[in-house]
Amino acid sequence: MSKPVLKPMEPRATQYGIPPESLKKRAAELRGMTSLLVKELFPETPDPIYPGSELSAIREEAKRALNHVDFSKIKPSDTVNILGSHHGFTLLGGGPYAEMLRTIKDEVAARTGTKNIRLRVGVGLRFRESEEYIKRFELDKYFDGKAMGIAPVDQPITIETEVGPLYGIKKAYDAKWFIHAHNSDMREIHFHRLVDRILKPFGMSYARIETRSAYHHNLGPRGANFIARAIFESPFIKEKFIASVILRTSPIGILGVDADNNLYDQSDRTTIEIMRHYGKLIRILNKIDKCIAVIDCPGPIPYTFAAGLIFANFLSANVDVFDLSLPLTPYSFYSEMSYDQTGKPRFPGVPPINPAIGAVVNNYSFKGYPSTFFAEHTPTIVVGQELARLFELCEQNSEYMSHAVIAKDLDNAMNFARKIAQTDNVIVFDGAQGGVNVSESLREFLLKKAGQVRKEVEETLMPTWLKQRGIKLKRPEPHAKSMN
Amino acid sequence: MKKVTKYAIIAQEKCNGCKTCYAICPVLAIRMENKKATIIGDRCLGCSNCEQRCPEYAITIVPLEKPFWVGLDVNKFDQLKIMELCTKAKFHPDQVICFCTGSRAGEIAAAIIDGAKTPEDISLKTGVRTGCKVLCIEPVLRLLQAAGIEPRKPDGYQWTGITATLWELSEEVKNKYGSRGFYFDADREFLEGNLAYESKKGGK
Repeated sequence: MSKPVLKPMEPRATQYGIPPESLKKRAAELRGMTSLLVKELFPETPDPIYPGSELSAIREEAKRALNHVDFSKIKPSDTVNILGSHHGFTLLGGGPYAEMLRTIKDEVAARTGTKNIRLRVGVGLRFRESEEYIKRFELDKYFDGKAMGIAPVDQPITIETEVGPLYGIKKAYDAKWFIHAHNSDMREIHFHRLVDRILKPFGMSYARIETRSAYHHNLGPRGANFIARAIFESPFIKEKFIASVILRTSPIGILGVDADNNLYDQSDRTTIEIMRHYGKLIRILNKIDKCIAVIDCPGPIPYTFAAGLIFANFLSANVDVFDLSLPLTPYSFYSEMSYDQTGKPRFPGVPPINPAIGAVVNNYSFKGYPSTFFAEHTPTIVVGQELARLFELCEQNSEYMSHAVIAKDLDNAMNFARKIAQTDNVIVFDGAQGGVNVSESLREFLLKKAGQVRKEVEETLMPTWLKQRGIKLKRPEPHAKSMN
Repeated sequence: MKKVTKYAIIAQEKCNGCKTCYAICPVLAIRMENKKATIIGDRCLGCSNCEQRCPEYAITIVPLEKPFWVGLDVNKFDQLKIMELCTKAKFHPDQVICFCTGSRAGEIAAAIIDGAKTPEDISLKTGVRTGCKVLCIEPVLRLLQAAGIEPRKPDGYQWTGITATLWELSEEVKNKYGSRGFYFDADREFLEGNLAYESKKGGK
């Protein structure tokens, strides 16, 4: 029996997107669409504390987790930077992450007596994005005028590491102490390969262009995230680091907050949790043999969400992205550099972009991420002249539209996509919570595959994934409630 | 090769003379005059860096009536020299190094052969570093280093310095962290294998 569609994430007014009023129709409104809840596929997925309760649940959970953290180094006259990333604000509308940041501030102030607590929020490739979030959640007011977005082109600070100098953003580290405040959804596994996933901001959000460039060019497709560890291991960072606070997620919501003075213990706990909750989901997407993917979410193309996964995950779902014996994932910057001018792989063994994606309909997304590669490798239909013009004028995407066609509206785009892809299977990346909006045909197909995938992940794949990362399954989890 | 579709305009009355735009422009298209930032002629390649960091929101980016291309025709340069330079820097000439413009290592090498001495010169000749402004600085610095050029730093913080690659990691570092999922040697072999595969084909 058909299930009602899930509510897609609302469009957002931003300098990186078309005005919300320009979005005429959502993919969830298309005829024949239904939804598939993650819980229908994998009932063992734990119930989230949010959504399903007020934001106060996040505050309570953060306070509980922070109770275990030692703040004794911080004196009343000390400065403390809380370091955040834009990513956290893209989860469930951003409210939970904002509340976690507020709670950290309040707890540090209450327990140490310092009033000089600043918020510094890093960005990806849209340099004012965090400013927009700070304004939206009135964090500047909450942090007494001491909240700011930081960008990788801002003033540098040299960080001496075991691999030579790397470069951070000076404003990130301009306090005596800092607290790392991040989130645990799987997100860019094509970049971090789930090795030190929660350390990534040290090599990215808090890092200068040279460090980020080294990440994507100098260290190789599996070692990229070592840049983050090299920075975290530096005496400069070690001297300033107080604790790490992580918003724990599953594909259906916020599970809680994990806080620890030991980042590596926390990292191992988080890695296990990500494998458990996201592993099955991405592996079930691997079973799809043909579909149309609709991008319809307030975010840049690869960061649009479906069931807690991002579109970039689907681009690589034709291989086991957790498996470190595979050097390349179908999408990553190391993969992009493996193709020649004609779009052919330059050498054997480059896995193609997920061939199950027969067509991509871009109904709503943001500019500000290099996306031409996606249009070069998947037939792409952009809905409406306004969205097409947004990409044409984006300095990171001036050639995106050279590889895409424009449809007048979503219905025409879908009709054309069906002809190209020769399928009725549709999956929508629209940020809906708790599940994914899909066509009836795809819903039935995926439901049939769930049992096989569960067995495959739990019995075969996960032990391999853990072994490759040197992680033992059973380890103390002192600060996490219901880590499953 | 980059398609330039827009350019920056500075509202002088809003400029507070903080020099942020001057310090970050990847093509040095901004100068300070009477404590106000000014765009130098038609040097702007429309990267939006200045507009995105101006604390006074004094800069706007407007579309060009006639977009134009910035780039070099690699075929007009000595292919052997390009290959040598790229190989020394551990790149293949056909390897994309700028994901926004699609520019490949060979074009950067051609820019150096054409007389570029700094990342700014290279950006003006090829358009690299004027997309996301983030991801391609290290390949540019590595290729300059391979050419024996130590680029003069601009009067800003457009870039700082070259960083380590897989080829420079010590055995100590590899042994210390290798068991935690970092496949240093395997990745190095993988990347070198790609270069070798192209060489076996005769290169391009």
